[in-house]
Amino acid sequence: MPPTNYYGSGLEQGYWGLMIVTYPFISGLVAGSFVVATLSQLFGRKRLAPIAPMAAIVSFALLLAAPLTIWGDSRQPSRVYELITRMHVPYSPMALFLLIWISYVILMLVELYAVFRAGNAARAEWAGQPLRAKLARLLTLGVRGRDAGSVRRDERIVRWTAGIGILIAFLFHGYIGFIFGSMKSRALWSSPLIPVLFIISAIVSGIALIQLVYFAVAKWYGWRIDKAIVAELNIWLVGALLLDLYLDMVELLMSGVRSYAPEETYEWFNRLYFHGPLLWTYFLFQLGLGVVLPLVALATKRWRASIVNSGVMAFLVLMGVYMMRWNVVAGGQMASKVTNDIVSFPLVWTGYDSVQTVVGVFGVAVLLFLALTWLLPWKNGLQGSSSSTSPVAPGLDDVGVSGVSLNTPAGTASTMADAQWPADQPGGNP
Amino acid sequence: MSVAGIGVGVSRRSFLGVLAGVAAAVGTAVSFLGSTAAAAIKPVARPSAAQMKRLLAYYRTKPRWASWLVPELNADDGWQRWMRTILNSKNLPIAHDNFSRIGTTIKQTHHWVMVMDERRCIGCQACVVACKDENNVPVGVYRTWVDVVETGGMVPDPAGPIVTDVGTYRSEVKRSSMPLICNHCDHPPCVDVCPVKATFKRADGIVMIDYDLCIGCGYCVEACPYNARFFNPVQQTADKCTFCAHRLDRGLLPACVTSCPTHARVFGDKNDPTSEVSTLLATLPTTVLKEDLGTDPQVFYINREQEVYDENSTGNTVYPYTANLNSNEYATLSGNAPLPGDTGGQR
Repeated sequence: MPPTNYYGSGLEQGYWGLMIVTYPFISGLVAGSFVVATLSQLFGRKRLAPIAPMAAIVSFALLLAAPLTIWGDSRQPSRVYELITRMHVPYSPMALFLLIWISYVILMLVELYAVFRAGNAARAEWAGQPLRAKLARLLTLGVRGRDAGSVRRDERIVRWTAGIGILIAFLFHGYIGFIFGSMKSRALWSSPLIPVLFIISAIVSGIALIQLVYFAVAKWYGWRIDKAIVAELNIWLVGALLLDLYLDMVELLMSGVRSYAPEETYEWFNRLYFHGPLLWTYFLFQLGLGVVLPLVALATKRWRASIVNSGVMAFLVLMGVYMMRWNVVAGGQMASKVTNDIVSFPLVWTGYDSVQTVVGVFGVAVLLFLALTWLLPWKNGLQGSSSSTSPVAPGLDDVGVSGVSLNTPAGTASTMADAQWPADQPGGNP
Repeated sequence: MSVAGIGVGVSRRSFLGVLAGVAAAVGTAVSFLGSTAAAAIKPVARPSAAQMKRLLAYYRTKPRWASWLVPELNADDGWQRWMRTILNSKNLPIAHDNFSRIGTTIKQTHHWVMVMDERRCIGCQACVVACKDENNVPVGVYRTWVDVVETGGMVPDPAGPIVTDVGTYRSEVKRSSMPLICNHCDHPPCVDVCPVKATFKRADGIVMIDYDLCIGCGYCVEACPYNARFFNPVQQTADKCTFCAHRLDRGLLPACVTSCPTHARVFGDKNDPTSEVSTLLATLPTTVLKEDLGTDPQVFYINREQEVYDENSTGNTVYPYTANLNSNEYATLSGNAPLPGDTGGQR
């Protein structure tokens, strides 16, 4: 189906539509939520340890859903195998996609294995749930030790995978920025700032998403939200937002000021963002509501600990980052390559490359997330974070960094499996 | 696979494309096989009647939208010796990247270029129609088109015909017709960025797409600075001008050139010093589009600035750019026309 209303008019048109707007957004969420997971796994922010497994699951679910966007955008999706058989490396950055994606998936599988191995080993002894116990036994790959030594080995694997993974996450998102930034045919894309801007806004969106997902699951299971985690996430969010704002300002100055920018860049920036169709999405939604307002609203310690405030701001930040992707992808194509006027970029609601397909991709991501939450024991740390009364088993308290913190009541080590996972079973929630 | 001939390349090449990927993995084994088998198989210039029958049957079951079937080149270029060339794609006279190889390590026989003589274009759009007819270009998309370019603006004039609240004006504009086409750049960014090597540059300069390999990602369409590529809405792949490669390989001119009533489009071999394009390029100042991007376009424009051009009076002639005029090259072509700015005697 023709992607735009102007198809057939012979006029220049946008070729990359809403799916390509969504692709950098989703892959940014992948990279960003991975970064949140590594904050505790690699950088020692132990307060964030309880949400690290959840962040890893979110990252993995989105990682599996991300290729759907470009696959759906491709006009010949049945020829996707050519990306392997006829890979044009290193000349085409797009050819790197499958290479990077597959290595990322493998790395995430290793990391998820290590993060959840101890939990799965405990789950394997469930009596009431034979299927899930069997699955958990499968997921441990036969290594079911839960002593401090094996947990520490898991932690070491997680640290390594997090270290390599953060590079691959940046590569995964950076190459998308590079696709845009390296395109000399588009005045507004051709900028070395774009890959960096993409990565920073990816981190921003990842932190905001994890914040929202944390609120959602806590609400769903009726847990008490740990304000220390919220405040810590907000600190990182503010830091990333400041970097983002800095880069946005650099971009604004380097493209929007006549004396500083090449003529073509300035003219299109001026026509699209200052006076054109992207005025509101750029200044209001991307910069105002997406960056400046959250920075103000998260300025004080008290505001950062407020759950409602954090939730609203996280949502605004996500919206702002999506608008940033829209402004880059749509804005770059609205600047005509050969004619004098702005290229129409209509929003399509149904069919090929439309709002409908974007909703579908996010639906797939949510389903994958739900499936993974069913499959993996991710709640332990989170539940533990709200129950301050339960003491921690000796020898296990210091391994919480990797998200395998086993908050077992002392003295019940022999019945750890029963004592530890009561609420993890369906219907067992308070 | 035993059918050897010019026409069968499509199915075979898409299949062999996969095979080439495997060959890359298998490496030396396949190239050894290729080199030994090449001695046994003789190059076949034309398909036999039986092969042609099978070929036509194939295309009847798998109709193609584009009128040309296979990129056919001269047998001398090595296309027909497919055991040597297609199994070992390094021997093909094409480049997917690193285009400076063309003319050095990749043998270049011709170098097709087009010269748009804007002194002569009347904007009749006959070339557009001819192209659509020849190449079966679907409704709404164009491989070549003629833009109407207007430069200038309104100037205040008390006697002017345009009366507004803020003054009276007359229009001081110049209109010109500007034929546009794929520039078949010597360093085409569209070919570099293709993730699956579906588009390529032939050694004779033509940038083409293999429609059976294109995955339709749109990267090349975005990467072309001249908007010369588009999505073909029927075959759902990227599509573009081929300089009518199917006609060229049979010794005909591109359809747009043939149809031009005023000879505004001139086509020829830049490597041939006696060709009309060589003469034009050597004697007249030409411009290319978006020269600053460094794509090195091979479609040249004469009189792009639409200055009044009078052959008898060099005084009125304005040469907007002379960067493309290489007087040394001109001298090697032993030209004897007066060079622009040549006041006589000194060169």
